[in-house]
Formats: sequence, C-alpha cells, structure tokens
Amino acid sequence: MLLRHTPTEIKEREALTVNPAKTCQPIGAMYAALGIHGCMPHSHGSQGCCSYHRSALTRHYKEPVMAGTSSFTEGASVFGGQANLLAAIDTLFTVYSPDLIAVHTTCLSETIGDDLNQIVGKAQEDGLIPPGKRVIYASTPSYVGSHVTGFSNMVKGIVRGLPEKSAAKSDKLNIIPGWVEPSDMREIKRLAKEMGVPVTVFPDTSGVLDNAMTGRHEMYPKGGTPVADIVASGGNKHTLALGAFASEEGAKALEVKCGVPFTTLDLPIGIAATDRFIQKLSVISGKPVPESIADERGRLVDLITDMQQYFWGKRVALWGDPDQLVALAEFLVDIDMRPVYVVSGTPGKAFAERMEKVLADIPEAKCKNGASADMFLMHQWIKNGKVDLLMGNTYGKYIARDEATPLVRVGFPILDRVGHTYFPLVGYAGAIRLLERILNALLDHKDATCPETQVELTM
Amino acid sequence: MSMPTKMPDAAAVKESILAKYPVKVAKKRSKAMVVNDPGAVPAVQANVRTVPGIISQRGCCYAGCKGVVLGPTRDIINITHGPIGCGFYSWLTRRNQTDPGEVGPDGENFMMYCFSTDMQDENIVFGGEKKLRAAIQEAYDIFHPKAIAVFATCPVGLIGDDIHAISREMKEKFGDCNVFAFSCEGYKGVSQSAGHHIANNQIFKHVIGRGHTRPDGRYVMNMLGEYNIGGDAFELERLLESCGITLNATFSGNSTIGAFENAHMADLNVVMCHRSINYVADMIEKKYGIPWFKVNFIGAESTAKSLRKIAQYFEDPVLIERVEKVIAEELAAVKAAAEEIRPRTEGKLAMLFVGGSRAHHYQDLFRELGMTSVAAGYEFAHRDDYEGRRVLPTIQVDADSRNIEELKVEKDPTEYAPRKTTDEMETLVQHGYEFNDYDGMMTEMEKGALVIDDISHYEMERLIETYHPAVFCAGIKEKYCVQKMGVPMKQLHSYDYGGPYAGFRGAVNFYRDIDRMVNAKVWKLVRPPWQDTPRITATYASA
Amino acid sequence: MRKIAIYGKGGIGKSTTTQNTVAGLAEMGMKVMVVGCDPKADSTRLLLGGLAQRTVLDTLREEGEDVDLATILKDGYGGVSCVESGGPEPGVGCAGRGIITSITLLEQLGAYHESRKLDYAFYDVLGDVVCGGFAMPIRDGKAQEIYIVVSGEMMAMYAANNICKGIVKYADTGGVRLGGLICNSRKVDNEREMIEELAKAIGTQMIHFVPRDNMVQRAEINRKTVIEFEPTHPQADEYRALARKIDQNKMFVIPKPLSMEELEKLLVTFGIAN
Repeated sequence: MLLRHTPTEIKEREALTVNPAKTCQPIGAMYAALGIHGCMPHSHGSQGCCSYHRSALTRHYKEPVMAGTSSFTEGASVFGGQANLLAAIDTLFTVYSPDLIAVHTTCLSETIGDDLNQIVGKAQEDGLIPPGKRVIYASTPSYVGSHVTGFSNMVKGIVRGLPEKSAAKSDKLNIIPGWVEPSDMREIKRLAKEMGVPVTVFPDTSGVLDNAMTGRHEMYPKGGTPVADIVASGGNKHTLALGAFASEEGAKALEVKCGVPFTTLDLPIGIAATDRFIQKLSVISGKPVPESIADERGRLVDLITDMQQYFWGKRVALWGDPDQLVALAEFLVDIDMRPVYVVSGTPGKAFAERMEKVLADIPEAKCKNGASADMFLMHQWIKNGKVDLLMGNTYGKYIARDEATPLVRVGFPILDRVGHTYFPLVGYAGAIRLLERILNALLDHKDATCPETQVELTM
Repeated sequence: MSMPTKMPDAAAVKESILAKYPVKVAKKRSKAMVVNDPGAVPAVQANVRTVPGIISQRGCCYAGCKGVVLGPTRDIINITHGPIGCGFYSWLTRRNQTDPGEVGPDGENFMMYCFSTDMQDENIVFGGEKKLRAAIQEAYDIFHPKAIAVFATCPVGLIGDDIHAISREMKEKFGDCNVFAFSCEGYKGVSQSAGHHIANNQIFKHVIGRGHTRPDGRYVMNMLGEYNIGGDAFELERLLESCGITLNATFSGNSTIGAFENAHMADLNVVMCHRSINYVADMIEKKYGIPWFKVNFIGAESTAKSLRKIAQYFEDPVLIERVEKVIAEELAAVKAAAEEIRPRTEGKLAMLFVGGSRAHHYQDLFRELGMTSVAAGYEFAHRDDYEGRRVLPTIQVDADSRNIEELKVEKDPTEYAPRKTTDEMETLVQHGYEFNDYDGMMTEMEKGALVIDDISHYEMERLIETYHPAVFCAGIKEKYCVQKMGVPMKQLHSYDYGGPYAGFRGAVNFYRDIDRMVNAKVWKLVRPPWQDTPRITATYASA
Repeated sequence: MRKIAIYGKGGIGKSTTTQNTVAGLAEMGMKVMVVGCDPKADSTRLLLGGLAQRTVLDTLREEGEDVDLATILKDGYGGVSCVESGGPEPGVGCAGRGIITSITLLEQLGAYHESRKLDYAFYDVLGDVVCGGFAMPIRDGKAQEIYIVVSGEMMAMYAANNICKGIVKYADTGGVRLGGLICNSRKVDNEREMIEELAKAIGTQMIHFVPRDNMVQRAEINRKTVIEFEPTHPQADEYRALARKIDQNKMFVIPKPLSMEELEKLLVTFGIAN
C-alpha cells in the first residue's frame, strides 16, 4: 500500500494539511501571464518559487515555460526587493525582448511589503522600460486563496494594466476562459467562430503551451492574446467570465475600469453548462445557434444514451479546482452518476453554496473546500464508503492503486500522462471525450478485475 | 578522447554570448564562463548570486534542504511550515525511490505524503507558532512517526517563528519522537546549495550518533550523496552486496532515520555527490574518526574504479579478489552493450548543465559511448566542484555563505576512534589514495571545452545553436526548450522517468537510452518536406 | 559572558541609558560589546563619538561582499566594542528579519567567541517589538537577561508590560529572565513609587531610578556619554550606580504581566489618572 498510513478513522485536524488539493497563488499568475502574446511572466521573490512554478507547469504542459525571477537573497529580504526587480526588468528587456513583463509577487515580497506600483514607476522613471513596452503586475500572496486565486489576480492585473476605455462599443465579446487547458481555450474560440461571434479570449494559452515543433525554440510562440486585443477589450460589448473563481474578478474589474458589462457563467464542461454558454453567446450577439452546433450537441446526447447503462448510480469522488468541480459535478449528475465526495483546497463560501444546489439530489454527498480540505480527508472518506470512480489530478493515482479504483485524470496538475493538453474538455466535443474516458476507465477496470466467467466480449 | 576538430572557438563563442548582456551583467557572467585547460585549471566563478531576470536553472535553499537531502528518507514526517506551495511542489517530484517492504516493523513510508501547515494570512500577521505546534501534535497523533522534521519557508523567517524552540519543546513532550527543524528559508544563500549545508548541519546535530547498532559484516561503510533517483541506490545496494560489502547508511536514497542514527558505526564514508553532502563526511571524520573519499558509480569504468578503491581501503585480499570477480562478471554485459551501441554514438557531442555533481559524473558515461562533452557546468556547485578541493583555501567566503552556520565539530570524547592509524593512512596515500579530496570536473574535461556555472537560458540557446550537440542534459525546465530546437534532451534530475543509471547495469540502461534518443526518427520529421523543395506555383485559369 | 537586552518604549531613552550604563561598566574594567538592533544604527553613537560605521547588514547589499569582523566592529569609549545591525530605510524591506540575520552573522563571525573575553554583550533593541524578528535577542542562546527602560508615563508602562508578555513567551523555551525595570525619570508625579509598585506587581524590582538631568542632553549633543563628557557630574554617578547594580544583580524572574485593568488600577492609585 502506498498510502499505508492513512487511517480509516477520521480525526478532526486544525493545523496540519496532508496531501493538499491546491497549491499557491503565484503559479496561477504565471499561467495567466503566459496567455498574453509576447509576455514574460516574472516572479518577484526567491528564485525557488519561479523554479518550482516553471517545473510544475512544464511537467503538466510538456512545453517550455519561460519566466524570470528577482532571485531574492537574504539581503533583498531585509532591504526590500526594489533593486532586484529593477535589475530583472533591465536584464529581461535587454536579453529576452518581451513585449511586456507580467510581475507577480510571492509570500516573501508580500510579507516585506514591496510595492510593485512604486517599483514599476521607478523602472519607468529610470528608463528601464523600452518605448512601447509595458510592465504589468499583480499581488499574489501565497498565504491567501490558492493557485486559482493567483490566476484570477493576474487576470485582474492584466485588466488594470492594459484595456483602455472606449466610448464606442464594438460587436466583439470578451471571454475570460478560466484556468483551462490550451486546447479548451482553442475550443472556446472555435465554438464562438462557429456561432459567428467575434471574441477576444484572454488569457489564451493555445499556441503557447501546445506549440508546434519547428526546430526552433520560440521565446514567444505564435499564440497568446495579442496585447492590442486586450487593450481594445475595454471597447468590447460584453464580457463572459467562465468560472466564478478564476474569471469573475477580472470581468468585474473590466466593468469598473471600462464600463464593459459582464456575465459570469460556469465553465462550459458537460452538456448543461455548455448549453448555457452557447445560449448566452447567442443572446448577447443576437446570432442564432447554427445547425452545426446543434449537431454537435445531438451527437453528445446520442452518446449518453448509448453509454447510460454503465453510468447509472456509480459513485464518484472528485477533487480539484472549484470552477471545474461545479461544472463536472453537474455533468455527472446529468448522466445519472453520483458525485459523493468533492474536495477543493481553494477556499470560498460560494463554492459550498453552489455545490449544495448541484448535489441537491445526492443526499449522501460530502463536499468540503478551503482549509484542511485535502486529499487525505478525501481518501479517508473513500475508506469509509467506497467509490466506483475517481476524477482529479495525478495525485489521485496513489488512492486509485491502494483502493483498486479507476481514475480519470482531469484538472491540474497531470504529471504522469502526455496528451491531455491537446484535447478539450469544454464544449460538446469535450463532453464527448470526457464520457469516452469515463466509460473506458470503468470498463477497463471491470475487464481487469471481474471474475473470468463474467468477462464480456461485447459490452 | 580529444575535442573533435573543426569545433567553434570557445573563447569567441563566449565573447559573442556576453555581447548581448547589459554591461554589468556581462562583466559578472564573464567570470562564470571559462575555456577549460585540464593542465592548468582556470578559476571559475561559482556559488555567487544569480543575476535577477537572467532566467537561471537554480532553485532555492528550501528545495535543497527539504527536497534533496531529507526528501528520500521514508520514515520521517517532513512538515513544511509555510504557505501551501513549497510543500506541494516538493511532493514526490524528485523520483527518490524507496523500498519499505511490506507493512511491518520497518514498513513505515511517508514519502507519498505531503505535510504542510498551509499558513494563512492570519498566521503571517499573528505568527505561525501556534499552528506549527498543533500541526506537529496532529502529525504525531495520527501517524506516530519516529521523527518529525520542520522546514521553514520564506515568510517564516521574516515573521520570526522560532521553529527550533517549538521542535525542542515537542520532542521533550513526546519522548519517543525526535523533532527537529531546519531554518532553510528560500532566500538563504544563492541556490539549493545553502539548503544542503543546513540539512547536513541539522542531521549531524540531531540525528547522527543517536543509535549504537552496527550491522553485521566485516566491511561496513556509508554511502553519502546518493539519492536513489530512478533506483540508483537499489542497483548499488545489489552490487555492494554481491561484493560482500555492508552498506550501513545511505545519505539519503532509500534511507531510514534509524540508519542515519547509526551512521557513525561504519568504518568508511564514500561520497558520491560531493556538493550536497561533503559537510557530513567532514564532520563525521572529525567527530568519530571515519575517513572519507570520493567515489563515482556513474559509468562502468568509474564504478569498477570505485569498487576497487573501497576494497583496497579495507586491505583484505579476500575482498579485493571478490570485488575483481564481480567486476569481471558485470563488465562483460556492459562491454557487449557498449560495443553494440558505440558505432551509433561515436563522435557525437554532449552538453551537461545540471546539479552539483551530475554534470561531471555523467561525462564518464558519454566517454564510454565515444561522445565528447564539449560544454558543461553546474547549477549550484562551488569552485571546488569545478577546480578540485585544492582551491578551498582560496575561496572567498561572502556574506551569503557566511549566513549559513558552520558547525564547530570536535572529537567525541567517547566515540572517536580513528579507523586507520596515521601510518596506515599514509601508506594508503602513498598508494595513490586521495582522502578528503575531490579533483573536480575540469581536470577531466577536454582542453578547449566550455565550462559555465549557473548557465542562463540565453547562454544555453546560443550554445545549442553554435555546437548542435547530439544530446543536451539538464532538468525539466530546460527539457522542452531544447527539444523544440530539435535536440534530444536528457533530464539528469529525473532521468526522464528511466534509470537506474548507476553501477554496471545502470550504465547499460544509459547507453540504451542515449542510443534511443540520438537515433530516434522523430528528429528527422521536424522539417516538413515542402520546406526543402521549391514551391510549385501554378494557377488554374478560371472557367 | 552575560548577555543583556535592553527593551522599552520608543523614545524612552534606551540607547542613552544603555550607552551610559555600558560606559559605567567599562570604567569598572569590564569588557563590553554593544549590539545595536535598530535599523537607524544610532545605538552606539555616544560610545563612538558619533562615528558613522559600516553596519552588519551593509555587507548583504549589492554582491554580498565578504564580511570581516574588523570592518563592522569598532572600539569606542573604554574599549567597548560597538556594532550596529543596521537595516532598511523606513517603509521598505523587513527590519525584523534584519535583526535575525545580523545576530546570526555575528555569531558566525565569532563576535561572541570566548577568545574575545567579553564580560558583557548588550543588545539595544528598537522600541516596539513589532514582529518576531525584534524578539530575536531574547530567543534561546541569545540574551539571558532583560532590563526594561520605563518611566511613569502611561504608555511607557503599558509598553513595559507588553514586553513582559514577550519575555514570558520565551522564558520557557529560551530561558530568558527579567532583571528589572530601569526608571528613566520623566518627572511624573509619584514616579518612583509607581514604578516600584509596578515592578513589585510583575514580580521584579526597579533596579535603579535615573533622575532627569539636562546634563544627559548636553553630553549627547557632544556625542558623548555623561561619564565621558562630565565624569564628575552627579548624573555620571547615577549611571555608575546603575552599572554596579546590574553587575551585582541576582534577581532574575519570569515576570507576571498585568491585565489592562490591573495596570489602570495602578495608575489610578498612584495619581496619574486622578
């Protein structure tokens, strides 16, 4: 047994987190910044933070993740990080020529109280920022929220730094896609295109973290939202924030800054959430839903009817990030599965309230988020009442093996498989893929473990 | 082996790289890039601060302390005191394998677990001591471990939580659980190296010497600086066992806290990764009288050489003979593999930028494949790892290093027992033994090869463009940048989830992996065919 | 070697009292080191005659240049070794961390080594213990004795009581003890009685009552301690007396801090508040 020390008996813990279902803010800020074309993320703290974030993102995306660090030493911690950040801005622009640098803080620079606004102002004053280039920033203390909060805070930082107010509103929509895979962002853009709705998706890591192999390392790959598009986003008609946790704050900030109204939707994972997304696109743009999209949806419903017998009543344990979990749980309920355990390390009352509604018909469901909502607790729940399926990131593989339960990998990080960043989970196409993976996991498990007399050729 | 002819001029390469940098940066980086001369090893700047924004490979002190040295010990609970990130990122990401056996007295294994105090805003403002104390208590109540270690992250050092006092208090309270702490905040020192030193100090202070059990066996030694990445330590354990040598403690691959406690019961310390563990070797020698020397089990020839050195140290003809027999047996398979593969790798170029010893050790394996290491450097080493320990007296200690405690170690009044008399040691030295020594990487590299400390991303790209190596070795952050350039990249931290690469069987694994990498067909698929054929333009007249 | 930390509310006269007392100890032939733990780096000014010196933390700036005890340690009046931690400008960085760093560095450099044959090391700590770093001098292995400079003003007494809470926190683990209150008079009514009562209430002593005298300021303007500037002045004898009392002190306690109500009651009884 890999997790041999996890007892079945659950003791209340107040201080010790074991096997977290979250990580810290700055990595989310780094991921969001990578979704702007020509952007160099920069971590203002000890160099280990940057190294850890780049490594974790690289292990998930299997792509280069470039970012700078202020390389704090003890001296910088005592005297403040201004000198280091100024040096970093100079070095980054001189050596790596980004269009913009997106600085985020760390627990270290937050605790000593470095003021990024003032330091970036000083960089401007000292002529360290070349003409036409920019430095944007976000405050991302690691001891508040989670990696999702960091993503949200950097989106807010982008909004504070780039969009300009415009009297005339264009027909374009802004979409803040949340922390999803590059393939998901690509799919969101495809769906909008299919609908005939012009959109600016930001941040957009498609073409950055699933970039083509050309024999050259592009420091700034083709993808990412062009700065000009984000600047113009202040003059767009409406913003769709996908995911209350990752995207709403940014949309709100854009409304305050540039008067662009916004709507918060769930991540379009599964059939109902995708329906709402498509309908909203249609209502706001005034464009009818084309037949091609209705066909996609129809294929998904058809598939559910084909698979439904295997899903009915199956108990599922889920963990990960709140926006994903809300939509995923709703989808599982829609296909008659029972999401009985849900855990997210990301704090926020809104999540618990929302999940209560989603899981209203599953009275045995347990859901916990925030402090001490960790994978250790999840595992203990499972030990006290087995499930048929696990859905979450790679860290669930130990539970999966110990409890002989199939695992479908979704969320961040997925460290032990390759290819997950290439196929979307959002939209009808994403739901189709999700269903295929869920069914394969369930049936592969049955094939491998059922008595020989019950091995079926046709299923 | 020598440098292939028609190589770019290293000095010119260096100048062209430096030209890109701001003046001050160029001045600093210039001292970290030297053209090698194994006969008269030039000084290389190392273990100094990284230029902010330059994009370095380096991590932090916490990573070196918690991640590297303590991470591989299975029966200790490592609690990260800080916000969640540091604990999360160091959770199972280093591939240290361990074998606790089945559940039983020795079955403890906490390596799959991540423990953190997950500090929140209010813990930063009001102090985190209360939470840490409670977390230690909860860990003890739930898991009843033999030992609990506490690791400080950056903000803990700032708000001044006294992790040592709390650990002492809890240790006294429990009575049957050793609790100790590491002030390894990320900003300490200039790289992971500071964390190694801090880890060495605390293990020496709080763990080594607590036990009094010597394993059975005539030849009992410890192996220091071997972390069991990809099962390296398993392979070495097998090899040593077949030689009849008893491994007492390994620091710290496949290790237990109990083995550490008995480390002073061995008769010899051999050091693999000099950078991360030489402090413990030195301190054990001073306090207990156990000599140490450097070994290298990466590469078949080096493995054979190291085994012979160990056998000769024990000065027993029976052992020497048995070791020779093992070497002969094992080498047969290695030679066969090398002969088969070498025609496909001969003459190719390798580059290694990694760690504090691997960039040196792995050159032996490439040499055995007929490949030349044209450029190499470490991520967090010191000058002695490049130039050899002879330069130690000339290394200037700066404030960043001074900050790391230097333990004052004296002979233990009861336990000190020199394993060899002065005369015996002298005789061994006359026979070519180098105790307490390490010659460093540069004496074994070709003249004209480039040695670069703490390489930047920019420097790495320029090197690849200039030399077009057949394989580039570094870590996960570099992996895909290098491969985007069409060059296969070998991770020497995680081995790309392969290995083991240590010992004889490990060498064969490495040969095969390199063969596979440099000869994989995918690299020839990078250019689409139409890029190499003139574009056919044709227009059809519209009907 | 006895390691002593002087705490007290900001502006109470800690640095002045410390340096004058140290001058008294030096006169007695004691070998003393004063470690200034205030980013302003002005804790040794009177002993050094105003000499600006390189601080310990200066060595961490720029490239982390080599540290050498000789460059940061200056001998002042009576052979007193003076060293300043230094630290960041107000409003930036982390002064608390600065103190932790600098004391660690001094230990590494051998500032406390037996070979230096010190009788006393004094820490003069920034007024308010605002974060963990400022408690560094009372953590284990650092200062064993604390003296709190106080006056009859309410806020000074309030601060002294708070500092006692800090001492209690570290008394168990670090072994630190309170040696007494030093009353640096502000000519408040019933000041002596009130501080004596306060001392009694928290379980310690008022080790000395230092009367207010303009001579202290005059000496300060001349960048000197009173003992050096006007050795025959009665105020010089007050500091000599304080030095002697500290040298002979045997009363080291874990204080019993008062509740806010108790403190207020004390003030009412002794006149300030009525």
